[in-house]
Amino acid sequence: MPPSVTHQLTWPRRTANRVRGLSRLSPTAAAGVVIIVCFGVLALFSEWFMTHDPVSSYPDRILQGPSYEHWFGTDGNGMDIFSRVIYGAKFGFGIAIPAVIIAVLIGIPVGLIAGYRGGALDEILMRIFDGLRVFPSIILALAVVAATGQSLLNVVLVLGFLDSPVFARLVRAEVLALRSSNFVESAIAAGNPTWRILFFHLLPNTIQGAMAQTAVRAAWAVRISATLAFLGIGIQAPTPEWGAMIRQGAEFMVTGQWWVAIFPGIALIFLVFGLNLLGDGIQDILDPRRRASK
Amino acid sequence: MVLPLLIGVVFVTFMLVRVGGLDPVGLLAGPTATAEEFTMIRKDLGLDQPLWKQFLIYGGQVIQGDLGESWLSNRPVLEDITTRSFISLELLFWGIGLGAAIGIPVGLRAAFKPNGRFDQVTRIISLLGFSIPTYWLGLVMLFVFFYLLGWAPPGMGRISLMVSPPQFVTGSYLIDGLIEANWEAANSALTHLILPVLCLAIVSAAPIIKQTRAIALEVIASDTVRYARACGLKIKTLRAIVFRNSATPIITFVGTEITGLVGTMSLIEYVFAWGGLGQYGLNAIVRGDFTAVQGYVLTLALFSVLIFLIVDIVVAIIEPRSQLN
Repeated sequence: MPPSVTHQLTWPRRTANRVRGLSRLSPTAAAGVVIIVCFGVLALFSEWFMTHDPVSSYPDRILQGPSYEHWFGTDGNGMDIFSRVIYGAKFGFGIAIPAVIIAVLIGIPVGLIAGYRGGALDEILMRIFDGLRVFPSIILALAVVAATGQSLLNVVLVLGFLDSPVFARLVRAEVLALRSSNFVESAIAAGNPTWRILFFHLLPNTIQGAMAQTAVRAAWAVRISATLAFLGIGIQAPTPEWGAMIRQGAEFMVTGQWWVAIFPGIALIFLVFGLNLLGDGIQDILDPRRRASK
Repeated sequence: MVLPLLIGVVFVTFMLVRVGGLDPVGLLAGPTATAEEFTMIRKDLGLDQPLWKQFLIYGGQVIQGDLGESWLSNRPVLEDITTRSFISLELLFWGIGLGAAIGIPVGLRAAFKPNGRFDQVTRIISLLGFSIPTYWLGLVMLFVFFYLLGWAPPGMGRISLMVSPPQFVTGSYLIDGLIEANWEAANSALTHLILPVLCLAIVSAAPIIKQTRAIALEVIASDTVRYARACGLKIKTLRAIVFRNSATPIITFVGTEITGLVGTMSLIEYVFAWGGLGQYGLNAIVRGDFTAVQGYVLTLALFSVLIFLIVDIVVAIIEPRSQLN
């Protein structure tokens, strides 16, 4: 079927809107977008950039410094660090994106229902969230992953689950403010079922703040997953994941082979920094209070 | 308010071990145990009881200060945790102290000239501080200051092995050494402290800068400050007013930050082999020693609750108005 005329008409306008939306970002946030896109390209097309296989070892080239053949040197197993750093981008995105999606998919409905229904359910949920806030998030993530089984899938599930209160809180606060507004009351009067009010009337009006948090939460997920791997929990050593690579390089830092741990660390910083820059920029746009007032 | 929170904390710690269906019995019994031995150990640990009963038993033990014995070393967890808590507190105290001493003035200065050059630069630096993995920063510091420059001792513990530690007074080798006038010990403790404290300070300063700036901006826009400015007060006086009015929210924020920083500190301890509670807890997690993990997580949570209470009291003292609510 040929594309419809209306479709052809609307898409340039939609793109224009998107570009205009992007241009509202500050230069620092735009820099964040550039960093994220670069890493995204590395993650998707890592085969094009890697100079060696990330997990094959060259026993005659153990712990060699950066050279023409191995740009970032080789690690204790004689594996090429440059290729491993490139490949590691797959783990950064592969963990952060599904973790944030899970957190959104759990957190937003919970926040909608808790805010709309109120009462005992809301009270209990908020108490639980308050209780969880007392635990350092990183330690809780470590302990839960260690207790529930150490697989990559489990890391993603635990991070998503532990991060969902952030979204639930944000949406709940918005719902509370809108619950008795005119458009919701007229929707009820018109006979909409509750699920329709929640997902078609309240959700579009409350989701903005939560969506603005996604970049920052993705940065959190990348950091925590690397920390787990650094401690050897969830992701094990020969895997070309940045945290696991830093773990491998830790012992060599005091003997002078800096390249093993430094390069994956720099990659990790850049990706998290890019996500934080973007998140900061989005929050500035959405929250006028945070913009400097004259 | 605090009681339900405490019950919730104990519940979460209790569930930590049950949620994964970990079985300590196999670990304790060993590979040659018979079926009878298995059931005996199950009974010993109370694992044959229904879950709610187990929770009540666990809660009762916690109230009595019994955190159980380590699955691996059979040592009482509470004893291990108390001795190590002092070791960690030393690091936490100096680290957050330095972080706040850097973060608050920098944040205030950034807020006085929003979007000025100082503001822009500190904003990038503080976002960078958010993004640096703590453990990596510690490793880089060890590489630069120990391996390259030779200024710092190797990241092993909190005092040189050649120096005998001072007697226990406050638990801090530095302060105890000074009290005893044992300069050698104090000096050694200080050189061991610098890198981990610097590491923790950098990581803790970043959010403090960001939040102080946001708080001060809001205060600057408030009626109080606008009126003061309209009265033509000197800029120095204005800044003092801004500082006084920002103090309460800043203290509250630093208090809530401590929860997260305790986790960060554990990683720093791990890298520098500090030997405190954090290293103990992380090792317990890595080895799967779950009574120790429970004790560790519970201690951190209770510490946070304690900090929240202290913050409330401090706020009530400097801001009597808040007591009315």
